Amino acid sequence: MSNTYIPIQMKVERIEIEDPDKALRTFDLVFVNEEDKKNFEYMPGQFCEWSLLGLGESPFGIASSPTETDFLRFTVSRTGSVTNEIHYLREGDTIGIRGPMGNWYPVEKFKGGNVVIIGGGFAFTTLRSLIVYMLEHRKDYGDITVIYGARAPELFIYKDEISEWQKRDDIDIQLTIDNPAEGWDGRTGFVPTVTKEIAPSTENTWVVVCGPPIMIKFTLPVLSELKFADDRIYTSLERRMKCGIGKCGRCNIGSKYICIDGPVFSLAELKKIPEAF
Amino acid sequence: MIRIEKERIDEFIRALMETWSVYAPARDGKNTLFAPVEDPAGIDHGIFNTDKSPKEIFFPHSEVLFEFEGGEIKKVERDARPIAVWGLRGCDARSLRLLDKVFGSAWQKPDNDMFEDPYWKEKYDDSIIFGTACNEPRSTCFCNWFGAGPHDGAGMDVKVVDTGEAFILDPVSEKGKKYIGSLKGWAEATKKDVTKMKAAAKEADKAMGEVFGMDGIQEKMADLFLKPVWNDIGAKCVNCGACAFICSTCHCFDVQDEGKKGKKGKRIRIWDTCMFPIFTMEASGHNPRDMSKDRLRQRFMHKFSYFINNYDEHLCTGCGRCVIVCPVNLDIREVVREVMACEA
Ligand SMILES: Cc1cc2nc3c(=O)[nH]c(=O)nc-3n(C[C@H](O)[C@H](O)[C@H](O)COP(=O)(O)OP(=O)(O)OC[C@H]3O[C@@H](n4cnc5c(N)ncnc54)[C@H](O)[C@@H]3O)c2cc1C
Ligand code: SF4
Ligand code: SF4
Ligand code: FES
Repeated sequence: MSNTYIPIQMKVERIEIEDPDKALRTFDLVFVNEEDKKNFEYMPGQFCEWSLLGLGESPFGIASSPTETDFLRFTVSRTGSVTNEIHYLREGDTIGIRGPMGNWYPVEKFKGGNVVIIGGGFAFTTLRSLIVYMLEHRKDYGDITVIYGARAPELFIYKDEISEWQKRDDIDIQLTIDNPAEGWDGRTGFVPTVTKEIAPSTENTWVVVCGPPIMIKFTLPVLSELKFADDRIYTSLERRMKCGIGKCGRCNIGSKYICIDGPVFSLAELKKIPEAF
Repeated sequence: MIRIEKERIDEFIRALMETWSVYAPARDGKNTLFAPVEDPAGIDHGIFNTDKSPKEIFFPHSEVLFEFEGGEIKKVERDARPIAVWGLRGCDARSLRLLDKVFGSAWQKPDNDMFEDPYWKEKYDDSIIFGTACNEPRSTCFCNWFGAGPHDGAGMDVKVVDTGEAFILDPVSEKGKKYIGSLKGWAEATKKDVTKMKAAAKEADKAMGEVFGMDGIQEKMADLFLKPVWNDIGAKCVNCGACAFICSTCHCFDVQDEGKKGKKGKRIRIWDTCMFPIFTMEASGHNPRDMSKDRLRQRFMHKFSYFINNYDEHLCTGCGRCVIVCPVNLDIREVVREVMACEA
């Protein structure tokens, strides 16, 4: 019998500070044991529990794509006790993870369709996974449009990579910041407003929205206004978690457990659950 | 079916103890609970449904998941002997079966044993349950609301009926049949025993309150989710969580580390409850179940709506413990009645 509660060992290979306040750090982890690496199969949208012995566990979305086989990437915002300790980690340290957990963005369903990806703040993590995955399987998808908002220019994560994407002609990157800033020649305005301006066509199009709850809350009505059907809109939810395997009873919305039935849900599914929003 | 004269019950238990780690009802000061049996003579066969729920035999209040020292993880070895439970009541036997649906199964991912709980399975899978039929149900018992009854054997391997002068052991499951079949030196139950058992079952049934019909309760609850009825019901609940901790089917837990980082310590899981605000409180300060009534509603929704959607059964077996312990006399049966009477 396997024991899901026991973490596997990972080594911190690379750390990158993403913002001037040093509140966001990106970690590339490599498997300590070859066997664990072989067994670890995941898809964009899934997450892991990080396990720090003596401190506890916290769930984080996987920011790398399964097509990047050498490492797992995560971006962690410093918010409380465990995330604070994570920020003290140094390259070369070992930590534990459990996973991959949860379901994923329905990339199979998206095949042959256009995909609009809407993100806000540091919740861009699993969206990066999705973008890298689709770019790696570029022929399978139609137009890819990314609308990504941050409070200020320096608060976008994965800046270098985004600049690279902006140079490509097979992906449309639309960045927006809340208020005009010096040296910024991109869009300004909140994500819902900018989405309305861009008004992506609904034709054969799927939408993925991921960001702070407030952004999701105001973006969903805009998408409905633009006539996207509820079963064409996907989002990823967060709740406090512990076990990650549907046992501890902590992360439910209605009859669904976010850790196993989610974190990815279509708006059509969520509308059936009064507790979802 | 075999019969064990009361004078010889210790002999039977002692034989059981040779291969099994036996748990039976015991007294701890004023409280009754299930405890490991050291001496069969110490078992109090007169104890009715224990104050504390027997779920802790298989799902302890706090359980070490593993120990660690530096970066090394060590699994804690438990007593390798399988567990036998003596004297479990019908409601609790069915509660264990419900918990087994949560912990023992891979649930929605049946082909993936990553979703089975090894700590539960290593105890429950090899266990044998000797359940005691209830001859004198209490006023707080309502197992009959769930299609069961005081002499129901569901969830037991062997049903035990007390006929006054003897215990009659009636095997229910394959495991129970095998065990009883393997025994030597015990007489078969007589015709008179069977007559007495039937009479006792009839008496016990008569002592139960009326069955309250709960057909369609899962949809009813869902329809009422946003309705003021929850304000009314929740008004007096003080969110103490006593109901959940005493409950034989509540299974929520927290995971915590004891010890210091990089040093020696252990990771443990501890019972927790959706009644506490911190249960769902996120690092940002946002709490999806901010109000006391949101949390009370969650407990009842889980038992009478969500669990039915996921597992086709109520997450309650009518043991009545929560009715007894609630400091503000919030009676789960009244909640069900109120909900069923409410217009959506
Ligand atoms: C599916 C999922 C994906 C996530 N992805 C990311 C990500 O990519 N990057 C990121 O920075 N954050 C992410 N989060 C949020 C992150 O898990 C919390 O910020 C983090 O657990 C806070 O832990 P803490 O110990 O620092 O905070 P404390 O407030 O000290 O919390 C104590 C414990 O409560 C639990 N907890 C508290 N808040 C949350 C929360 N919002 N979600 C889940 N568990 C919580 C954790 O077990 C945590 O260790 C994700 C959450 C979920 C559910
Ligand atoms: S909810 Fe109350 S009556 Fe039902 S199983 Fe739990 S303690 Fe017993
Ligand atoms: S025991 Fe009573 S007061 Fe305490 S949480 Fe349960 S219902 Fe509320
Ligand atoms: S985290 Fe335990 S049930 Fe989802």
